[in-house]
Amino acid sequence: MAQPVTTVTTSGPTPVAPPGAPRRGSGRGRSTSWLIRISVLVFTIVAWWLVTELKLIRPLYLPGPGAVWHAFVQANSDHQVAPGVNRIVRGAQNYYLWEHLVASLQRIAVGVGAAIVVGIPLGLMMSTVKWIGIVTEPYLNFLRSLPPLGYIGLLIVWFGIGDTSKIWLLFLAAFPPITMATISGVRGVREDQVNAVLSLGASRRQALTSVTIPATLPEVLNGIRVAVGFAWTTVVAAELNNGIPGIGGLAYLSGTQLQTPLTIACIIVIGVAAVALDGIIKLLETVLVPWRGKA
Amino acid sequence: MSHDQAVEIEGLRHYFNVRGSLVHAIDRIDMTIEAGQFVCLAGPSGCGKTTLLRLLAGFMRPSEGTITVGGERVRRPSAERGVVFQQPMLYPWLNVRKNVELGPKLRGVGAKERRAEAERYLTMVGLSDFGDRRPYELSGGMQQRCQIARVLTNDPDIVLMDEPFGALDALTRERLQNELLDIWRATGKTILFITHSVDEAVFLGSRVLVMSPRPGRVVLDEPALFSEPGEQIAAERIRAMPEYNRLRERVRQAIQETPTAAAATG
Ligand SMILES: Nc1ncnc2c1ncn2[C@@H]1O[C@H](COP(=O)(O)OP(=O)(O)OP(=O)(O)O)[C@@H](O)[C@H]1O
Ligand SMILES: [Mg+2]
Repeated sequence: MAQPVTTVTTSGPTPVAPPGAPRRGSGRGRSTSWLIRISVLVFTIVAWWLVTELKLIRPLYLPGPGAVWHAFVQANSDHQVAPGVNRIVRGAQNYYLWEHLVASLQRIAVGVGAAIVVGIPLGLMMSTVKWIGIVTEPYLNFLRSLPPLGYIGLLIVWFGIGDTSKIWLLFLAAFPPITMATISGVRGVREDQVNAVLSLGASRRQALTSVTIPATLPEVLNGIRVAVGFAWTTVVAAELNNGIPGIGGLAYLSGTQLQTPLTIACIIVIGVAAVALDGIIKLLETVLVPWRGKA
Repeated sequence: MSHDQAVEIEGLRHYFNVRGSLVHAIDRIDMTIEAGQFVCLAGPSGCGKTTLLRLLAGFMRPSEGTITVGGERVRRPSAERGVVFQQPMLYPWLNVRKNVELGPKLRGVGAKERRAEAERYLTMVGLSDFGDRRPYELSGGMQQRCQIARVLTNDPDIVLMDEPFGALDALTRERLQNELLDIWRATGKTILFITHSVDEAVFLGSRVLVMSPRPGRVVLDEPALFSEPGEQIAAERIRAMPEYNRLRERVRQAIQETPTAAAATG
């Protein structure tokens, strides 16, 4: 596998960087870690397949990979209600699986979006205006420590069983981490960074917009990442009641109807979507705050 | 050259509250710095040099006494008192050029004008090729030079510099010393220059101060060899002069007599 160092290929997988050129992680280290990950994944699936194929566990408890894949394909297409029955139905619960996913993603987007719009200014106010911080911090800590399942019932009473109560739930789960991150970001801004800009002639307001806020950005983005993670774990709770379409609702409903292959397919889809979304936010971090951890 | 008082320090004392106990950082400083003076401040580590500079900058209020600049009490930082920090305070979300332009930008100076000014000082500190880099992509000494360019671009009347050349190699250091002297001669700015180097303290400015630690006091205050910006003599000739060596010896003595002398000679 030795690569001749002298030939510089433009499309090679690991181009040899000239000394001193910026390197984003080691290319070789990255490809080995992917190799390991993929091997582990393959191994897991084979082990899963073996366990079910050898009938070590009843299929109702743990269906095999084939059954899950079949459920996944069926849920994304028009198919017969049951083999031999001539009635055609659409996906699962009248929506394709991807439509369930999109419905949940939309709720998360609106809930987290509202949490960003409210959470960041709130965090800025709490950390820069002393009395606002003193008054609101206990409530924020209180809200933060509540499990979402505890108050979903109340939200349904207040906002009805439709989408409004679900979005409220996601919002309430997502905004405390964003606000807390903003506060800790502002408190972490080095005093002399602000002093420096004031000595350059900045007003208090200019110091806020040109130093405090950008200096807080890495923490805020991290808070948003945490909030999105929270929103995923909350989305199933949000969709327990009247959650169709919704990937969380479908996972729950199919479980109660003993369609375990579909439940597992939903779980895998939720997991993959959550990891992918997290990856996108991480990517956004490297673009927006390239200085993170360096200054 | 006008000789109005730029900085007036009266009965200055400063204490830090460190977990309930008071640290006496500055005991009693009374002094006047005239407009256009280039004051070099030396003294062993921990004697209160940075504390004095931060009080002058307006980053904190003195525990006792007053500081006035141009007849007005110092209460907060201001663009007329530029600060070169001991540790470079550059903004990683801005590239080097935008860091340097920041002061004029905040004052609403047009893009073209401030770019020209920034370019001038970036060239002076030898960073004209690094304008598009981010500060964390520069070496420590380069960051320090970038910080100096940023303060000079903002054109303050008073420049407060905290060991600005500490992280530089001898050659760069000498070049920047000369550039700083040129700027001082050309503009008549008032400069407070903190240094650990006895040589730099004696050679560079128009007045030398030495502080002693715990509590911080001024123990030596003498005019340097050349107290007017107009006088310009080659460095080698200055170093060969007996007056230079005598002053150098007095400054060294003053620093050594202070309790924690070992750390200070340099
Ligand atoms: N923020 C602070 N809180 C508590 N004590 C402080 C603080 N800043 C400085 N001190 C104390 O005040 C004294 C003077 O510190 P200062 O930073 O002014 O020294 P310095 O002369 O600049 O030293 P150096 O040459 O090492 O930079 C020291 O004893 C230090 O411990
Ligand atoms: Mg210091």
